[in-house]
Amino acid sequence: MSEPGEVLLSLRDVTRRFGGVAALDGVSFDVGRSEVLGVIGPNGAGKTTLLNCISGVHRLDGGDILLDGRSLRGLAPHRVARLGVGRTFQIVKPFGSMTVRENAAVGALFGSSEARLPTRRAFAHADEVLALVGLAPKRMLPVASLTVPDRKRLEVARALCTKPRLLLLDEVMAGLNAVEVDEALEMVRAVHASGVTIVLIEHVMRVILGVCQRVVVLHLGRHLAEGRPADVLRDPRVVEAYLGEKYASRYAGG
Amino acid sequence: MAEPLLEVRGLTAGFDAGPVLFEVDLDVAAGELVALVGANGAGKSTLLGVLSGLVPSTAGSVRLGGRDVTNARPEAIVAAGLVHVPQGRRLFGGMSVEKNLLLGAHLRRDRDVRGDLERVLGHFPALADKLGREARNLSGGEQQMVAIGRGLMGRPRLLMIDEPSLGLAPNVVERVIEVAGEISREGIAVLLVEQDVVMALDAAARAYVLESGRIALSGPADEIERDPAVRRAYLGL
Amino acid sequence: MAAQPEPDAGQEAAFAIATPAAARRERIFLVVAAVALVLLVVVPLASTDQAQSAGLPLLVDRYWFRVATIVAMFVVISAAWNLIGGLAGYPAFGNVVYFGIGAYAVALLVTRYHWSFAAALGGSVVVPAAFAGLIGVPLLRLRGHYFAVASLGVAVAVGEVINNLDYFGGASGIFMPIVRSDLLFYYLMLGAALLAVAITWVVLRTRFGYGLIAIREDESAAAVMGVNTTVYKVAAYALSAALTGLAGGIYAQWNVFVNQDVAFNIDVSIDSILMALIGGIGTIWGPVLGAVVLEFLIQTFSGRGDLAVVTQIGLGLLLTVAVIFLPRGVVDFLGGRSSLTLAYVRRTLRSSGV
Repeated sequence: MSEPGEVLLSLRDVTRRFGGVAALDGVSFDVGRSEVLGVIGPNGAGKTTLLNCISGVHRLDGGDILLDGRSLRGLAPHRVARLGVGRTFQIVKPFGSMTVRENAAVGALFGSSEARLPTRRAFAHADEVLALVGLAPKRMLPVASLTVPDRKRLEVARALCTKPRLLLLDEVMAGLNAVEVDEALEMVRAVHASGVTIVLIEHVMRVILGVCQRVVVLHLGRHLAEGRPADVLRDPRVVEAYLGEKYASRYAGG
Repeated sequence: MAEPLLEVRGLTAGFDAGPVLFEVDLDVAAGELVALVGANGAGKSTLLGVLSGLVPSTAGSVRLGGRDVTNARPEAIVAAGLVHVPQGRRLFGGMSVEKNLLLGAHLRRDRDVRGDLERVLGHFPALADKLGREARNLSGGEQQMVAIGRGLMGRPRLLMIDEPSLGLAPNVVERVIEVAGEISREGIAVLLVEQDVVMALDAAARAYVLESGRIALSGPADEIERDPAVRRAYLGL
Repeated sequence: MAAQPEPDAGQEAAFAIATPAAARRERIFLVVAAVALVLLVVVPLASTDQAQSAGLPLLVDRYWFRVATIVAMFVVISAAWNLIGGLAGYPAFGNVVYFGIGAYAVALLVTRYHWSFAAALGGSVVVPAAFAGLIGVPLLRLRGHYFAVASLGVAVAVGEVINNLDYFGGASGIFMPIVRSDLLFYYLMLGAALLAVAITWVVLRTRFGYGLIAIREDESAAAVMGVNTTVYKVAAYALSAALTGLAGGIYAQWNVFVNQDVAFNIDVSIDSILMALIGGIGTIWGPVLGAVVLEFLIQTFSGRGDLAVVTQIGLGLLLTVAVIFLPRGVVDFLGGRSSLTLAYVRRTLRSSGV
């Protein structure tokens, strides 16, 4: 599909088991540099497991994951972060006793080799990123006082502060209403424009259609379909396994 | 309308940081499916919390089937027939599906508990072969079904479901909302709080729009769906 | 920058936002601390024989040197514990093992290898740190209760080994040459206490401190942010061991005698944890305040015979009350963030699910 230099992340036959069950079974696909790739599929399809394997939280039982040609297999999470992979969690994990600013700064203090800034520069960078995601006015507040959409924004900001080449977003839009989704989409577009490759897991179809260039569909741990969002969402296998007729008719227009 | 099953008048509630709900009026008739929509932070979950007795109100009244349950203890409210299915499922992860469901009938002393379990499995046939499995090992959609099933086991007259679509695949959301409709057709009233406005308004008979703690709009669901302000704010159109 | 958080369904501000009043309180506290430090350094000098013969007034009785030295020792141990238990969130229940190792290091180096006391103190820092570095790697894979119990097990095991080996003097322990100077040990412990506080202050301002707190708050989030959690945890553990060992080393010479009971007393671990707790876990001054308050209480309430039981119960009750009403410690109370009211207790209990 693309030349070697154009591929940032490559999944080759990725397999991960829990007990006897294969959460991921021979999944293969590529993510192009500067692309926004969506990953969809029913719950239990292996989407979060996929992110966990890429970011080093889970070990692979088979296959390999290559970042710019370099194997991520067996690397500890902080090593993967050092290579430039940032991620958010589906259930946000803020550092509860720190302020918003401090949370973001942790990303800048550690993170990829591009990050790891000295303390003062780290906080300055955190301020910039918080402004990008729209949290600047709240940066001195404790995280406990943030609303749910804001906590998700903070989760993204903190991952961004690590100066990633690849950003993995896990259901960042869950629980947001239409207006909040629009605002979050703006944020994702801004992040993308700054040169970051993005892989996002979503159930909110507006997002998939609104910002993804390509979509991969996972089902029962296997790769089911891949392609442009409009095409994939019309695929009858996808409609049956995931979308349902009502949603299909809603989005059939594209 | 004949006297509604749930009658909320002038409900005001809040926390130390300030009031969250202002003089909310809301009705749900027996067997009706009513949708409650609104932005994050508008107070939807707080309202359900007040109705189920988890959050105290500072003013106003809540009547269930003619009885005043304002600021009653949560157990008393459940016993009176109002059951809350909270946001995020909140199952007992380490317990089996069956135990979770049976716990919903915890307060009941009658003998029909087993019969009701069968009826719940009738709504959610996918759970039939998973009764022994630990709740945390189910998928999100299956967990949501268990959560609603657990609510049904309390034999409620009114079931309040908070954002069932959260984090669920579209086809699962479709099924869950379908089930809400089935429940209301059986005679159990349903108050459905939802972010997926289209789905909720599709299924509901009437709807309320909550904005910054106040009821901004109320009426038949299809009218609400056609309202230009609603379309702008919640459907992004 | 004071901003009001927007009221949100289900959320309440459980913390105060930085305000001018809080900043002023902090300045007052620092001034008080500075004055106290000067007094602590200067006043005891008036009790020396030279000063007394020169006719200076006796400001403090020598008895208070001993108490103050004990308090300073607990400041060191408690601050050291705070690094691994408070900052990193790994509650070590057996840190007294490093006190013991440090004490025995000094005792052995001085009596058997004829090192000077000063040089031996270096050993009391290095040996515990090395030991902690080694066992820390497997030990810190455990979390929460498991880690707590395992660390306790280590302390008991090492104590037993030492008690049974002749190399360590066995049950009869080791006697050191007598150094008769309460004042020397007072200043040594005070210096160690200042060192411990200074180290905590530095740690909290650097990447190391943020990394530790991130590990405490959410270890997997910290890992994917790029924190090398293993290295950071072991480093904190080794640092706490080094400081605790230093306290043990100074104590060994002061007490002149070490054996298993003296050096591996689990009460020391428990007391130091309590001090960090009631003083303010994870803070700079918490261990200091906790050591002062708790040691004061222990000294005041210590009795003999029947009275001992009553005072123990009283102390226990007092501690329970403190933990309930001051869940974030005395430091938070002085910072104006806690308050001694039932409303605050209710709020804290409710918001603990944040």
